[in-house]
Amino acid sequence: MKGRYQDENLKWIPILIIAIYLFPFLIKNATFSYKYYLYILNMAGIYIILTVGLDLLSGFTGLMSLGHAAFLAIGAYTSAILVDQVGLPFELSLIITPLIVGIFGFLIGFPALRIKGMYLGLTTMGFGFIVKRLIIALREWTGGSAGLQVSKASFFGISIKNDWDNYFLIYTFVILAVIIARRIVQSKLGRAFMAIRDSEQAAQASGIHLAKYKMIAFFISGMFAGFAGVLFAHTSHFISTDHFDISLSIFFIVMVLVGGIGSIYGAVLGTLFIVLMENMFIPLFKDGLSQYMHIEAGEFQVFIFGLIMLLFIIFQPQGLYGMWLKMRIYWKLFPFNPRKRFT
Amino acid sequence: MKRIVSIIILSTLFWTGCENREGSPGITDTEILIGNIQDLSGPIKELGLLIPAGSNMYLDYINEQGGVHGRQIKMLVEDHQYNPQKSVVAAKKLIEKDQVFCLYNVVGTSPAEALRPILEESGVPLIAPATMSSSMADMSRQAAQYIFHTDAGYDLQTRVLIDYILENNPDAVIGLCYQDDDYGANALQGCAEAESNHSISVQKEAFQRGATDFVGQTMNFMKGGCTDVIIGGIVREPVTIMKTAQAMNYKPNFYGLIPTVDPRVGLLAGEVGEGFIAPYHAYYPDSDESGPTLYRELCDKNNVPAKMRGIYHYYGFATAHVLVEGLRRAGKFPTRERLIKGLETLNNWESGVFPPITYSRNDHTGVESLYLLQLQGGKQIAITDWRD
Repeated sequence: MKGRYQDENLKWIPILIIAIYLFPFLIKNATFSYKYYLYILNMAGIYIILTVGLDLLSGFTGLMSLGHAAFLAIGAYTSAILVDQVGLPFELSLIITPLIVGIFGFLIGFPALRIKGMYLGLTTMGFGFIVKRLIIALREWTGGSAGLQVSKASFFGISIKNDWDNYFLIYTFVILAVIIARRIVQSKLGRAFMAIRDSEQAAQASGIHLAKYKMIAFFISGMFAGFAGVLFAHTSHFISTDHFDISLSIFFIVMVLVGGIGSIYGAVLGTLFIVLMENMFIPLFKDGLSQYMHIEAGEFQVFIFGLIMLLFIIFQPQGLYGMWLKMRIYWKLFPFNPRKRFT
Repeated sequence: MKRIVSIIILSTLFWTGCENREGSPGITDTEILIGNIQDLSGPIKELGLLIPAGSNMYLDYINEQGGVHGRQIKMLVEDHQYNPQKSVVAAKKLIEKDQVFCLYNVVGTSPAEALRPILEESGVPLIAPATMSSSMADMSRQAAQYIFHTDAGYDLQTRVLIDYILENNPDAVIGLCYQDDDYGANALQGCAEAESNHSISVQKEAFQRGATDFVGQTMNFMKGGCTDVIIGGIVREPVTIMKTAQAMNYKPNFYGLIPTVDPRVGLLAGEVGEGFIAPYHAYYPDSDESGPTLYRELCDKNNVPAKMRGIYHYYGFATAHVLVEGLRRAGKFPTRERLIKGLETLNNWESGVFPPITYSRNDHTGVESLYLLQLQGGKQIAITDWRD
């Protein structure tokens, strides 16, 4: 019987996991400002969990969502309330919160039964506005527009005091999220998602219950976002409605697109690329270059993002992961690689 | 015995006289590095250009005079796009990577509030956060000991305005148009206090940040018979509401909070803005006090364009006085602890730009009084004394 991942070369996975855990030690020795880089990586890790879930929904099931910042917000606020106000342990919040957010996703899945494409995107965007209003209205629990302070997490007796501790917690869950997402993609569920994405009529004709699978996709994607929300709240220690703007939802879509929509590794690569680009590479040259291009330093960042999106959509629609696959095939076949096949 | 006693006395004098010369991040023999976080590309980006420009003008002036204890002050500005998450990233960069001595002038309530955990963890002081929310001066909140607020809160501003309206017309029906965010929430607190003090009920109408249409709110104020309407916006909101009311032939008295004290309100509103009243918490840039006089001199000297001059540019200039005074009081060998202690020694300190400021271990409020300005012939004229 053929194994689930028999076609893949999985030898590099343990090496990658070890590298992930050793990375903080490397940068600690390399730079005195390692805490800043760890914080950036932690935020990237949280976003990876969310974009992997978003990719399951948008990339694999073909359902557009512009409301994932709202799912992240529900996760963050729910966990903050459960841990700090109800008094539940953080570990329990890690289980309950994603389920609650998953239910919200499930409910948002209802409109998806009738509408699709841009209209679904607009509906989920509307959901984002409703959530923002709801957070402000429930000010007794959420602190309203003034925001909410969130305590530090404690995981099975280990206090997560700083970015260093947080890194190991977050990346453990990142690895788990990627493994779970890949298992889903390779399972009957994942194949049903992809069938719906490719052709709803054909999927229905094959006996796939569209309503059921679409709502499951929203539920799972919501759970991933909820999980990210828990980690977000206890990493930021302060949350407010300004954190979860509509632009963040668009940002998540950009991450998935740049990485390569419809690929779990693509979501990981895209998120890392965008977060590192925004916080590390663009600041390196934005001030100098903006002087020549007569764009304000702040606007320059937005300009670069727009340019990246444009270039990717035109020249590399399969994203970074697609680029990596092309390169791999090119070198595997080298020198017998007719140019035409790879352009 | 005498010898032992004299040795003890001498060594005690020596140790108390010696200052600890242990180096602090952001401090070199020639430079003090300050971190500033502004909105350079978000919803209030015009402020992000004006406020640091005003601060830099004053810091350059101080640097030309030899700096603070021989050190030049250098300010790094980061962009948070009015997003608290980006504010945290910017603060982490400034503190961990650039190793700034202190933070100064972080603009916006939620971007400033988001920094509390970092301030507590790193012990970095935040001087003059550019937000008028009184929550920044709440000493019961996290990291409050590191935050030195300068501005009069929106709650105080709203309360003072309502007091003034009722002084002039005890039968006034008051409306409050507030931004539905932390800015508005703080204004509502002051409104609730005034409602309780005067046993009145204020008609409240909310709007979203960035809103451009105020027909609904204006209509509701008209229906409610409001004779006096307070607008908690920046520039667009008071101008649009006043113009909308004019189109409806509705003529209440209009008031704004401090962010509306901008020359553009008068310019854009035209005749309908005549009589618009707003509170202010510093000596007005056109006044004859020492701070405003220096401001005008420096603006002329540096050829600051007329369109840049105004309360936001002046705000950066004014708050930089508090920063520089704190650095002076931190001594020749400044540490973050000494900066905090130095600022806490300000007792009725006359800056020339703000009314006397007092900080103490239990009070980091800054300015606690206001006066009212009225638009008359396109100019802001003071119509009251200081009030609190």
